[in-house]
Amino acid sequence: MKKWLKKHKNFNFIAGAIITGVLLLTVLIGIFATPYDTTQMNVADKFAKPSFAHWMGCDNYGRDILSRVMEGMGNTFLIAVLTVLIGTVFGVIIGALCGYFGGLLDDILMRINDVLFSFPSILLALVIISLLGTGRLNVTLALGIAFIPSFARIVRSEVKKQCSLDYVKSAALMGAGHMRIIFVHILPNIMPVLLSSVMIGFNNAVLAEAGLSYLGIGVQPPAASLGRMLSEAQSFLFTAPWYAIFPGLVIVLTVLGFALLAEGTTEEE
Amino acid sequence: MLLSVEDFGIEFHDHDSPERVVEGVSFTLDKGEILGIVGESGSGKSMTALAIAGLLPRKKLKKEGRILFEGEDVLTMERHKLRGLQGDEICMIFQEPMTALNPTMKIGLQVEEALRIHHTEMNDAQRKERAIKWLKNVELDDPERVYESYPHQLSGGMRQRVMIAAAMVGNPQLLIADEATTALDVTVQAQIIKLLQKINKESQVAILFISHDLSLIRQISHNVLVMQNGHLVEKGAVDDIFEHPQQEYTRKLISAIPRVEL
Ligand SMILES: Nc1ncnc2c1ncn2[C@@H]1O[C@H](COP(=O)(O)OP(=O)(O)OP(=O)(O)O)[C@@H](O)[C@H]1O
Ligand SMILES: [Mg+2]
Repeated sequence: MKKWLKKHKNFNFIAGAIITGVLLLTVLIGIFATPYDTTQMNVADKFAKPSFAHWMGCDNYGRDILSRVMEGMGNTFLIAVLTVLIGTVFGVIIGALCGYFGGLLDDILMRINDVLFSFPSILLALVIISLLGTGRLNVTLALGIAFIPSFARIVRSEVKKQCSLDYVKSAALMGAGHMRIIFVHILPNIMPVLLSSVMIGFNNAVLAEAGLSYLGIGVQPPAASLGRMLSEAQSFLFTAPWYAIFPGLVIVLTVLGFALLAEGTTEEE
Repeated sequence: MLLSVEDFGIEFHDHDSPERVVEGVSFTLDKGEILGIVGESGSGKSMTALAIAGLLPRKKLKKEGRILFEGEDVLTMERHKLRGLQGDEICMIFQEPMTALNPTMKIGLQVEEALRIHHTEMNDAQRKERAIKWLKNVELDDPERVYESYPHQLSGGMRQRVMIAAAMVGNPQLLIADEATTALDVTVQAQIIKLLQKINKESQVAILFISHDLSLIRQISHNVLVMQNGHLVEKGAVDDIFEHPQQEYTRKLISAIPRVEL
């Protein structure tokens, strides 16, 4: 751990780690407690300005925005993490098999992949949601599936590259089976590339989730989501600008923090 | 007789017209024998070696003849049977010690790989003991430390020794060394040659030593094959080949050896 920290001792990494760390901490706290009940409406506090009592002010129902941002971040993070998880697991399996075995399987899967890849993932997710219906679980599934092609592509090309190296040949010569060669020998060697695409993928997932919720097909009210808050805040942009500013700021910070982290880790490779 | 290659040939079918890269190659290899294969670049040495190791791609390739290892044909053997041989009976070391070791795996684990696959009855301690023993056998200083290292922490010569240890750990019958010393500098080359000779004597492993360096071949081999354009030009005991070459091509190769006055 110490070595690892030392290795990544550069500005991008530190800045990214701090931003992401603070946000993650906030999410964790938000799981257990928020300053106010996130769905409690309070007419007296309608459009209350940011103050000591309400750090980020209140929305059109008098709900505390900080509390809702905390919950929204939690939802967004959860969906993004699961999305990336689905995308990575299936992407790695498909990409590794295609890259390693090549042949007809590779041709077929990669042609399908190319077709899917040619649509923006958010559009693909929209199609899948229209089949599955809205809601948190479906959005996660839809985004996860939409993310598979890009991961599969990256993993495939990396595995192909590794396959031409002698260590793979020597593993085969040791009598290692295909699965052992792929998952024990090759996979650890594509980790650096996989790691940075996971981080970039996480960012895309955050933005995609925010986008879907903004369109009203992601997290359903009264549950909070950063994207949904933005779309609600839109109508009050001039009466209560803070309603849009804070959720927006959190999205920007999340993406920025992760981008810096990704940058910092690849810089050292 | 350990290995018998009979009228072996390879034809690639991955381009428009089929391409013959090896044709009509026959030779035998006894237990404990060191057989050198020389020939210019592209003469089919590596292809022959890969075929013996059962590593030729299964597709887009036509194979002819037979390669009998202890009486069984590796060219037509079922995959699971072949895998039982690989790493256990037949091992191979490659030219580039830089890429032949897995950069993200500790040396110890890589040396133990063959044991982990073929000797599942051994426990961790026994495996480690055997690995350390072989790291010592290949004359690496401080085998315990090497065991815990990663490839990038070792020099090229050390890595090649590690490769030999990893190949020998399962006590194979046949060790194939394809240009195993080509990427090393001259002094390290000489050490590795000595090491291979020592291992050959001690564990009676047969060695197929492939190189385009005739002086190395002369130093290490008992018998020699000369290849050109996928054909076997000449074969025989090392002294016969070097003292009384029968073929024009062999004579040309020998006369091209740079003479170094020591
Ligand atoms: N996929 C392929 N398709 C067609 N020809 C191939 C293919 N792979 C290798 N060859 C040919 O096979 C021939 C023999 O190659 P091989 O690697 O066995 O030579 P070599 O004797 O080991 O040479 P070197 O000393 O350079 O290692 C070469 O002429 C090469 O062009
Ligand atoms: Mg070769």
